[in-house]
Amino acid sequence: MNPLGLLVILLSLAVSLMLMMLPLPDWATIYRPDFVALTLIYWSLALPTRIGLWVAFVCGLFVDVTTGALLGQHGLALVVILFINLNVHQRIRVMSLPHQALYVLALLLLDQALVLMVEGMIGRQPPLSAYFGAPLIGMFLWPWIFLLLRHLRRRVHLA
Amino acid sequence: MKNIFQPARGTLLPVVLFVFLAVSLMFIDHRSRNLEPLRVGISVLIAPLRQLVSLPPQAGGWLLQWFRAQQSLILENEALRDRERLLNARLQKMAVLSAENARLRSLLGSARKVADTVIVAELLQVDQNPYRQLILLNKGSLDGLREGQAVIDDYGIMGQIIHVTPNSATVKLISDPEHAIPVQFVRGGARSVAFGNGSTDELELRFLPATADIEPGDELVSSGLGGRFPAGYPVATIVSVQLDKIQGFKSAIARPLARLDRSREVLVIKTPVAPLPSEQPREGSAPAPEPADAGEQAQ
Repeated sequence: MNPLGLLVILLSLAVSLMLMMLPLPDWATIYRPDFVALTLIYWSLALPTRIGLWVAFVCGLFVDVTTGALLGQHGLALVVILFINLNVHQRIRVMSLPHQALYVLALLLLDQALVLMVEGMIGRQPPLSAYFGAPLIGMFLWPWIFLLLRHLRRRVHLA
Repeated sequence: MKNIFQPARGTLLPVVLFVFLAVSLMFIDHRSRNLEPLRVGISVLIAPLRQLVSLPPQAGGWLLQWFRAQQSLILENEALRDRERLLNARLQKMAVLSAENARLRSLLGSARKVADTVIVAELLQVDQNPYRQLILLNKGSLDGLREGQAVIDDYGIMGQIIHVTPNSATVKLISDPEHAIPVQFVRGGARSVAFGNGSTDELELRFLPATADIEPGDELVSSGLGGRFPAGYPVATIVSVQLDKIQGFKSAIARPLARLDRSREVLVIKTPVAPLPSEQPREGSAPAPEPADAGEQAQ
C-alpha cells in the first residue's frame, strides 16, 4: 500500500471520529449516524484484503472512548458488520448506489442493535426511535460518502 | 491484477475471537476499573482531534470578542465593577458570619468548615452518548484533578469527576441516570438522596416520609454524607411534590441550580473532605480568625 493511500485511509477514519464528537443539541444526539461504521464499510468494500477485522476492533475502541461507552461495545458491533461485509463484498460492489444504500441500512441497523443491546443489558433503556433513526440517516448519507471516498481513493491510486 | 476472485476473507475463527475479546473487555470495564490505563491511553491519542473539533466554537468566541464594540466593553466593565463592589460587600458580611460560625462550631466541638480551594476548568466537550450525562474538562491529573472531586459552577453543584487523564477529566453530572447525591433540606434539615434521571433539569427524590414537611420552592444543599461532596453547597430547588397514598411515601422532583447544560467554566473543588477540628482555620480575610481563636481560648 502506498504511503499516500494509507494517509488517506487514516485521515478519513480520523474525520469520521471527529464527526462522532461534534457537539449536537440534546435531542439530535440519538440520530447521529455511526460515521466510523460508514467509513469502515466503504474501505472494507474497496480494499477487503487490507481492511481486516482488527482495524474494525481498534476503531471500535476509539469510538467507545469518544462516546463514553463500555470498552468493546462498538468494537463488537463493528467486527460483526465487517465480517458480514467481507463475506459478501463481491456481490455488493456491483450493485447500484441505491441498492448499496439499502444493504448499508441493514448493516447499520445490526450495528445499532448490537450497541443498544449492551446499553439495555447494563440498565439504560434507549428509546425505540434510537434503533431506527440513526441507521436511516446513515443510509441517506451513504451515496455521498461513497462518492467522496471513491474520488479520494482514485486520486491517490489506491487499488 | 493478481487474481480476479479473491478467496472468501471472512473466516469464522477470527470473528469469534474478536467477539470474545470484545465481550470480555466490556465485562471487565463494567465490573472494575482495571481498563482505565487503556481508556486513558486512547483518550490521549484522540485529544488532538477533540481540540480540533472544539476549535470552531472557540474561534467564533474570539472573533466575537475582537469585533465587539468598545462601548459595550466599557458598559460590561462598569457592570462587572458594580458587581465586584456588591460581592465585596457581601464578602465582608460573610467574613463576620464565618467567624461566628467557626466560634459556634468550636463551642460545639465539631469539625470546622474551611474555605475549599478550587481549580477553574473549561468545558471541552459534552459527551455524545445520549443515555448518559457526562462532560469533559480541559484540565487533568497534571493540574491536580483527581477522581471523586466535586465540580460546581456559579450556581451550584454540577457533578463529580469519574475519569482523569493527564490533560482532561470526565465529569458525571448529577443528572446522570446512574448518579445520586446526598442532600439536605435548608428548611427543616431533613436528609435525602437526589437521583438523576437523564434530563438536565430534573432530579428525583424518592421515598420521603409521607409526613415530611416539603413544599415546592424548598432549597436543597449537599449534606456532605458519603464524603464525596463537600457539605453546604446548593444543589436544587423542589419543583413538585407527590404523595403515593398506597405506599405511604412522598416523592419530589427538583430542578438543579447549576446550569448543567449551559455553563462553560466550572470550578473543581480540590478538598472534598472536611479537615479535622485540630487544623487551624485558613480564611485569609483579616478579621475572620481572631474571634474564632478567642472562642477557643475561652474554652
